[in-house]
Amino acid sequence: MAIGLTDVAPPLVRMRLAGFRHTLSDPEKSSWIWTGASIGVLLAAGTIWAGFADADLVAVAMAVWMLGWAVGPLFAGGGDETLRPEYFTMLPLRPRTLAGGLLTAAFAGIAPAVSLLALTALIVLGARLSLLAAIIAIPAALLQLTSFVLVSRLAVAVFGVLLRYRSGAILAAVVNAFVLAFTAQGWALIAAYVSSDVQGTMARAARISPSGWGLVAVESAGCGDWWLVLLALAGLAVLSYLMYVAWAALLVRRTTASRGGVRPRWRLNAHTARAAATGKELRTWSRDLLTGHRLAFAFGYGLFFCLMPLAVGWSGMLPWTGPIVVLMAGAISANLYGSDGTAVWLTLTTPGAAAVDVRARQRAFLLVVTPPVLVLSVLLTWWADSPDSWPLVLGVLPALIGGAAGLGVLLSVFSAVPAPDPHQRSGNVLASGGDDGQLVGQVYVMLVATATVAGPALAAGLLWGWWGLPAGLASGVLAWWWFGRVAARRLETHGPELLSLLRGGAGTTTSRAKQRGPASRGSRFVVNACTTLGIIALVPQGIVPMVFKLSGSSVTSWFLALHVDEPWQWPVIVAMIVLGLTLLAVAFIVYRRSSPAAEPATG
Amino acid sequence: MKAFELDGLTKRFGDEIAVDELSLTVPKGSFFGMLGPNGAGKTTSLSMAVGLLRPDAGTARIFGVDVWAEPTEAKALVGVLPDGLAMPERLTGREALLYLGLLRGLPEREVRDRTAELLDVLELDDTDDKQVAGYSTGMRKKLGLAIALLHAPRLLVLDEPFEAVDPVSAATIRTILNRFVENGGSVVMSSHVMALVERLCDRVAVVADGKVVAAGTVDEVRAGGTLEDAFVELVGASTRGVEGLRWLSA
Repeated sequence: MAIGLTDVAPPLVRMRLAGFRHTLSDPEKSSWIWTGASIGVLLAAGTIWAGFADADLVAVAMAVWMLGWAVGPLFAGGGDETLRPEYFTMLPLRPRTLAGGLLTAAFAGIAPAVSLLALTALIVLGARLSLLAAIIAIPAALLQLTSFVLVSRLAVAVFGVLLRYRSGAILAAVVNAFVLAFTAQGWALIAAYVSSDVQGTMARAARISPSGWGLVAVESAGCGDWWLVLLALAGLAVLSYLMYVAWAALLVRRTTASRGGVRPRWRLNAHTARAAATGKELRTWSRDLLTGHRLAFAFGYGLFFCLMPLAVGWSGMLPWTGPIVVLMAGAISANLYGSDGTAVWLTLTTPGAAAVDVRARQRAFLLVVTPPVLVLSVLLTWWADSPDSWPLVLGVLPALIGGAAGLGVLLSVFSAVPAPDPHQRSGNVLASGGDDGQLVGQVYVMLVATATVAGPALAAGLLWGWWGLPAGLASGVLAWWWFGRVAARRLETHGPELLSLLRGGAGTTTSRAKQRGPASRGSRFVVNACTTLGIIALVPQGIVPMVFKLSGSSVTSWFLALHVDEPWQWPVIVAMIVLGLTLLAVAFIVYRRSSPAAEPATG
Repeated sequence: MKAFELDGLTKRFGDEIAVDELSLTVPKGSFFGMLGPNGAGKTTSLSMAVGLLRPDAGTARIFGVDVWAEPTEAKALVGVLPDGLAMPERLTGREALLYLGLLRGLPEREVRDRTAELLDVLELDDTDDKQVAGYSTGMRKKLGLAIALLHAPRLLVLDEPFEAVDPVSAATIRTILNRFVENGGSVVMSSHVMALVERLCDRVAVVADGKVVAAGTVDEVRAGGTLEDAFVELVGASTRGVEGLRWLSA
């Protein structure tokens, strides 16, 4: 007797929920989950508000939600991996039955629930139009949710295939970088090549893209265009089915592929301990396709972000390509020890290896990032033909590079996120297996902290021109030396604790919870929420609109300050920066107060 | 002088006591087997004893050097093969050995010669086109052993060295270890394969529930019978598997 979907789905849903319950019982993980869920609910509330206000806004919001589902997992460790397809390969199931079961289980989580909440914006919108439109909104919302979940699973599967090959890893990075840069700077391309009505065009495009089909169905029901209602709903159903079939096919591929990694080129050929350690680290950058993919993404994002405004003849972003690349590249190197899995035991059993290893990781970052970034910066600043930018860019660059190389190892040692050993990575090459929320948090922290290191250079450059260069060099060297030293000391004194954390990963919660961080679940939640909201207020709502306003850019995007009337723009920016700093201060104070007493230096 | 002394090692994970005041001594020049059922605390004890897991209490000494007070000196004396930990996954086996040898301060010429010999003896010399991430479980064990031997330590601490290794390689490893002991080295090895321990080791300790329940020479512990009988008696016999499972009949 063939096993059908109705037999498979219930146990899979129960497995997923059981995994979820265990995650919730880990105070550290659950606080991240609640933080993420709270932010999700806030965003959903915003979407529902848009449903009351403006259909165009709903269309754009839906596009953002779908984009989040598609690219989110690529940054947050490959999506939920509670149920890996590999677990079920020996069950006598047809691939589509298994895929159907896994899909059903994929709905049992917080992200789909939050998205469903956001999708009630369609019902709100429908209710404003007519009763029938409100009724049509129900299947439209459900179909739309299905398409969200499927696009996420399919994206992870497609990237999983691409990331098995060097060329695929780079192609995926370029596509990814383009899509993300487009969300920020796409207005320039639209204005240049499509229409001067940028916002209208974006709303139209958002309705044409699959993310807007549910909205189109509701709106058409409101004006009695039943053919379009049918077309939009059928379109969503057919698209979801096609994504489902493609995903099922890729699942088979995933569970039957080999995982040896690419054939090594460019042999290690060192003569000293320092060179050997650097050489090892450089091989990781070049041979681990996931690392290579992320690096290519950093370069692609920086280039697209700064080149797109050229479409409207604005070359002011060009000199900043290099700094943006360094910021992004730094953000991906904040979990160096975590991504090596338990390999740190070798550093611990080799006398005197800790400092050598930390410095080697810094040097490798420097060697990988600096030459191409320097070339890019010189070429693009020269092309932009803005003499004022030279001292700023050349001052900020060394500060950012030194800052990223220093802070990267510091975070890697102090707040490692456990990941599976590279040889045990699942068929989902993106999977970190660890705290996805924590990984995303680390990226934010890296971005803000690295940018802070460049603060003095930027200030000196703006005030006194070329004095920015020595300021940048000094702060870069200082950050490199000091943070590296602290990291090396910590690795020497607390190496076994780092190994326990990386070895335990999920499951050894009792020993982990004691090691670091605020004790109670409540204070963890406060720390996480304040940090995340504080960074949002400080950077994208405070510093970024300030830079845009100073540079005379016409972008308004989601920057609150740039949507209010002119006289209020500066007060809003200042208020956001103050709010952000206050929230971060609260987070820090709560963290300090509720953390267990500092451990003795050598345990 | 004792090669290895564990004194009152204790480790708790939450409410669970994984290792409970475990003490044992390994005389210089002995081949020491650590036996115990799954979850007895063998890996936890050995990790604490070589400096990979901080004990809640107790000390570990290697040739009199305290592992936790003078880690650098202690680590120079010991070669470790842990069970199931990652290695420099993005290097080839040869590159990993070169890298670790240089980190230990050995001259490059010496590292290259030793590496070539180790890879040859362990039949890993034709794997230069593979990253360690692509190695099989047995190949990983053999590379781990090569890493442990590379700096010619005086003590080897091996966690399940024969697991997943094919019979031919196992014979090679036995020969290497026997020669190591004949030349004055000491070996501590955990295992749950009785026949192997009986054949290789001169001394054993049986660990159960985080405690040493018996220790001494192999003859003392087996007390006239086989090691397997003694082991089952010490850790508690199980008759499970005799009754039940009737649905299993074809």
